[in-house]
Amino acid sequence: MMRRALPLLIGALALLYPLLVSGSAVYQRLGALVLLSAIGASAWNLIGGYAGQVSVGHAVFFGAGAYAALAGYAQFGMPPIAGAPIGVGVAILVAALIGVPTLRLSGHYFSMATIAVAELVRVLVTNWEWLGGAQGISGPAIPRTVLDLSFTSAVPYYYIFLAVLVSILFMTWRIEKSRMGFYLRAIKDSERAARSLGVAAGRYKLYAYMLSAGLTAVAGALYAIMFGFVDPESGCGILISVKMLIMAALGGAGLLFGPLVGALILVPLEEISNSLLGGKGAGLTFVVYGAIIVVIARFLPSGLLALFTGLRSPRKPSATEPSHAA
Amino acid sequence: MFLQRGVVAVLGAALLALGTAQNGVAQQSVRIGAIYPLSGNAASAGSSSKAAIELAVDLVNHGNPDLKDVPLADGKGLPGLGGAKIEVIFADNQGTPAAGQNQALRLITEEKVVALIGAYQSGITVTTSAMAERHGIPFMAPESVAANLTERGFKWFFRATPVAGDFARAYSEFLKEQQAAGQKTASIAVVNENTEYGNSVASVIKEQFAKDGLNISQVIPYSANTTDVQPQVLQLKEKNPDVVIFISYTSDAILYAKTMKDLNWKPAIMIADDAGFNDPSFVATSAGLVEGLVNRSSFAVGKPGSVSAVINDLYKKKTGNDLDDPSARAMQGMLILADAINRAGSTEPAKIQAALKATDLKASQVITGYNGVKFDDKGQNVLASSLITQMQGGKYVPVWPKDKAAGELKLPYKGW
Repeated sequence: MMRRALPLLIGALALLYPLLVSGSAVYQRLGALVLLSAIGASAWNLIGGYAGQVSVGHAVFFGAGAYAALAGYAQFGMPPIAGAPIGVGVAILVAALIGVPTLRLSGHYFSMATIAVAELVRVLVTNWEWLGGAQGISGPAIPRTVLDLSFTSAVPYYYIFLAVLVSILFMTWRIEKSRMGFYLRAIKDSERAARSLGVAAGRYKLYAYMLSAGLTAVAGALYAIMFGFVDPESGCGILISVKMLIMAALGGAGLLFGPLVGALILVPLEEISNSLLGGKGAGLTFVVYGAIIVVIARFLPSGLLALFTGLRSPRKPSATEPSHAA
Repeated sequence: MFLQRGVVAVLGAALLALGTAQNGVAQQSVRIGAIYPLSGNAASAGSSSKAAIELAVDLVNHGNPDLKDVPLADGKGLPGLGGAKIEVIFADNQGTPAAGQNQALRLITEEKVVALIGAYQSGITVTTSAMAERHGIPFMAPESVAANLTERGFKWFFRATPVAGDFARAYSEFLKEQQAAGQKTASIAVVNENTEYGNSVASVIKEQFAKDGLNISQVIPYSANTTDVQPQVLQLKEKNPDVVIFISYTSDAILYAKTMKDLNWKPAIMIADDAGFNDPSFVATSAGLVEGLVNRSSFAVGKPGSVSAVINDLYKKKTGNDLDDPSARAMQGMLILADAINRAGSTEPAKIQAALKATDLKASQVITGYNGVKFDDKGQNVLASSLITQMQGGKYVPVWPKDKAAGELKLPYKGW
């Protein structure tokens, strides 16, 4: 009975959250921010968590979504949301282009290659006048129609993000249960063993990478719509990639709800510590933020969710440990 | 397992609740929110601005007898509001547009600030001012210069700082005056670093000079990361222009000063566009190589006893450093806000907005080198202007316009 009641309760809580904190615009917005981060981290989780290919370059795809949304507005006057599918398309294409050569690399080398590509793209965008160059591009600050999705309240964003996150998690859950899910986990445990059993590892890694890229672009587009601005650092900066990774890893990489749990902890921690300590101007925020990450990483290396799901012995991602399966 | 997931949710909720602890008691004072980079790679600039804003608030709240001309600096708080004091709530934008916007919402809805000031980086000013606009809260941008900020049709956005067009006009007027005084200005070279800053300033200067009939004969873009500027200086030496305008960051500025001496070439008038040439480390390493260099700044320390000198002394006492250009502009922004709130006689945002629109400060009432403060329909200060300074005996002295000069302009350029 508990198994049935609790998901319902959590679902109801998620649906009612904006009403529960209706007195505080800041907490309503915090809810939306948690969901937005969870979308990005869940998208990363497909390739980084399930398939164990630790990408540190997902900012490229995030940037593709964010820039497509705002460039469509700045150059053609389209509502930002109309640019989102273009961003998703571009991200998938770019993923295919860089995935084919880089996914052949294993472990650290794959991570390093993704960093290199992301930095390259950031520099390219910085010098790309059409995309606003170093100055970045803005969205419609004053909404023309409701299609611009520019709201004062965070509540509409909250429900949009919630819908998107639920769709992504549902999709991930279906993949997890499917043949592809088993293949990805097999690749993560030992790519060589998986190959020897007839898994088309290269092809499935590429599928997961492309899917992950497309969904990351969705996160980027939603970010750009909410904040109404993107520049090379906030769209393609390495911090974007790292945050996705940390959130997924902290919650539990390769677990369905891992990224969401990571976002539930890290985003409020970041926002609240900045609100409480940021104004003092001593950079205390990051000291506290960093210390908590260190503590979790030390005592729960396979993520917080492992604590609750009984995965005591961490299943180490293949990227951090060379495969011994030969 | 679902039970345990619930625990996580509760944990999250507990974290959220943490934040409510900060909701202070209602204050008598007028609360203004200030969003600056207090961490991240612009943190040192943000901290300087914070100190300058605190000094401005201190002047209004406690006064200073040496600053009679500066509005509200008599220490009576805001007489228009029964002597209310100003309280500034600082927030850290962490150098990201997202954090800036999140903090803007918090300051407006939780801290109940009546106006916002910030946010140093132009990109962050974009997102924070959008939040202020949606909530109908006046936003003062004292230092962000991106041209598009005032082109968004905002009604609550006010910018006190001069922008690239103002610098270009100042250079143009300055050069024409020198022309009239008999200096040679027949050929002008522009040497600019080739990213956003250098390219945009160079193109605005080209436009303005073309309009004013000044002849730019040579444009040399270069990469600021370079370790050798001999090719650029040799190009200059070959064409030998009368005037050179440098738009550079710090390390390249130092290289130019050194290389021009090595290659023994100098123009009759050498102008630098703020940035690298005003960096304390440039002054420390290269002042002896650029005697007579003409520069611009919105703030320069005038004669002893002048408003700028008194303020610089106060700032130095507080922080140990001289007041720099962007921080002086931040301080000016806060004083403009205080003046408007005082005249509004109310903390109602709409009344403050109206008072800001009616702002009319004279040159003698501002601490920076502006000709005064008056906002146009887009919120841009139309009286914003730059001072022209000159390197004389190891430090920059304001030399133009004449009424704000603390020293005599000495031409031609002497160099080393």
